Amino acid sequence: MIVLENVSKEFNSKSGTVKAVKQVNIRVNQGEIHGVIGYSGAGKSTLIRCVNLLEKPTEGKVFINGVELTSLPLPKLRKTRNKVGMIFQGFNLLKTATVYDNIAIPLKLLGYNKDEVKKRVEQYLDIVGLTDKHTNYPNQLSGGQKQRVAIARALAQEPEVLLSDEATSALDPETTDSILDLLLKINRELGITILLITHEMNVIQKICDHVYVMENGVIVEQDTAINLFTKPTHPTTKKFLNTISQRNLSNSLIAQLNVTGAVTRLTFVGESTGKPLLAEVSQKFNVQPNILTANIIELKNGIVGNIVVHLIGDKEQVKNAIHYLEAQGVATEELEGHSHE
Amino acid sequence: MSRTDQFVEQWLPIIGESVVETFQMVGISLFFSVLIGIPLGILIVLTRPGQALANKFIYQLTNLIINIVRSIPFIILLFFILPFTKLIVGTTIGVQGVIVPLVIYTAPYIARLMESALLEVENGVIEAYTAMGISTGAIIWNVLLREARPSIVLGLTISTVSLIGATAMAGMVGAGGLGDLAYRFGHLRYEVDVMYATVVILIILVQSIQSIGNRIAANIKKD
Repeated sequence: MIVLENVSKEFNSKSGTVKAVKQVNIRVNQGEIHGVIGYSGAGKSTLIRCVNLLEKPTEGKVFINGVELTSLPLPKLRKTRNKVGMIFQGFNLLKTATVYDNIAIPLKLLGYNKDEVKKRVEQYLDIVGLTDKHTNYPNQLSGGQKQRVAIARALAQEPEVLLSDEATSALDPETTDSILDLLLKINRELGITILLITHEMNVIQKICDHVYVMENGVIVEQDTAINLFTKPTHPTTKKFLNTISQRNLSNSLIAQLNVTGAVTRLTFVGESTGKPLLAEVSQKFNVQPNILTANIIELKNGIVGNIVVHLIGDKEQVKNAIHYLEAQGVATEELEGHSHE
Repeated sequence: MSRTDQFVEQWLPIIGESVVETFQMVGISLFFSVLIGIPLGILIVLTRPGQALANKFIYQLTNLIINIVRSIPFIILLFFILPFTKLIVGTTIGVQGVIVPLVIYTAPYIARLMESALLEVENGVIEAYTAMGISTGAIIWNVLLREARPSIVLGLTISTVSLIGATAMAGMVGAGGLGDLAYRFGHLRYEVDVMYATVVILIILVQSIQSIGNRIAANIKKD
């Protein structure tokens, strides 16, 4: 379990004090995967480095499994850091060491005996699927393979929590997916709690239970992934959602369509995804739905469907139709257009 | 007897002796220079602002000392520190007498080369090891020095070559060596053949050292 309580971090620079992280509260329960998303410069990298005290928070407290790290003396902090694995965007492997040694050297330095080191290296290389590469050097591997070595290195310490600092940001989409699958696998099979930071919405979509949206050092919105994808409130959250599905139509188009009916975004989640609700609407009310855009997003814990629909009909009928849809568990949002552009 | 045979018979023992002296001077002073220079290089990297043991005072003091020593040409340093040399080894002449100035000349040079070698190591790797709860001492040895090995070897190769150059001036205090041979016989006594022979030997020596250094560095580099 990872708990951040009112964590702030200030940097002193020539141009004055920069507050990179402001009063952040995060609570990742045992076995969950939480993600912090934000644009570069939002302070998320500083935030995750505050968790294992690579950056010492200026204010606030950090707890890992109930142990308060912020007040620990260095030797004890080192002991606790053993329980916190970390992976990075740049992999951070030893270039001069083989895959095997990259995993074995930290274990040796942490005092494990030869047999234990060998056992763990083999076990975790197997988990990340790189057993046949153990004599290779990092430069002989692809980006995805390097990240797998880094993951094996982190896992070999048998940590209780794993921190991921933009671990997939340097990888192509296909490799990103395979690394995300691996993170899901270790979360499910080894029960490791994961806190990750990213600027990619698909990372959140694929593996996160809970999401924090960060901007200018502040968490501006946080919720379960499903709620956040269903009812985003902060403009930044909406911008991030736009990156994985085209949610917006042009204002002029909406204004033009509004003349003959309402342009409404319908978000289906859970049970409502299974029902043919639009067909029902056209039968029950004198309304003709015309689908403008539609997509479906598979989240870790469910599916969210998004339809932007033009409901053609008179105002009263359209209103009733929307009420009906809401009663069936569909989130609705009427889109307003501005014709004067 | 041909001219070559005559030359060999007359000069080989003397040249051989000079080669041995040069090797002695280079070997011994390289040993002590490394002993001082590498820790000095580590110190200057670790006390740098933002690093593990950041300490402005030590960092700037070390920098200053290195710069001062590096400003003095070897031929001047050799005489400038005569009293110090006498204090340390009890004499100011011969191979013994030249070791002290050679070390003082080379150690700061090695420190600078080590500094640039160690700074090449990605901070991220050090950070990864810190995040794993590994102590700073273990990180210096197993990450910093390990990853910098190829550049360290190249740096030491450069230092060795420059050290060979410096030993040429050792003749000034009667320490002998190849440079001294070329100067005394080749220049002062107009033995042009000796001059050529020494120059050729020096070229071969420097070439071999550089090739060996390059090969070792390439071998441990792995990328």
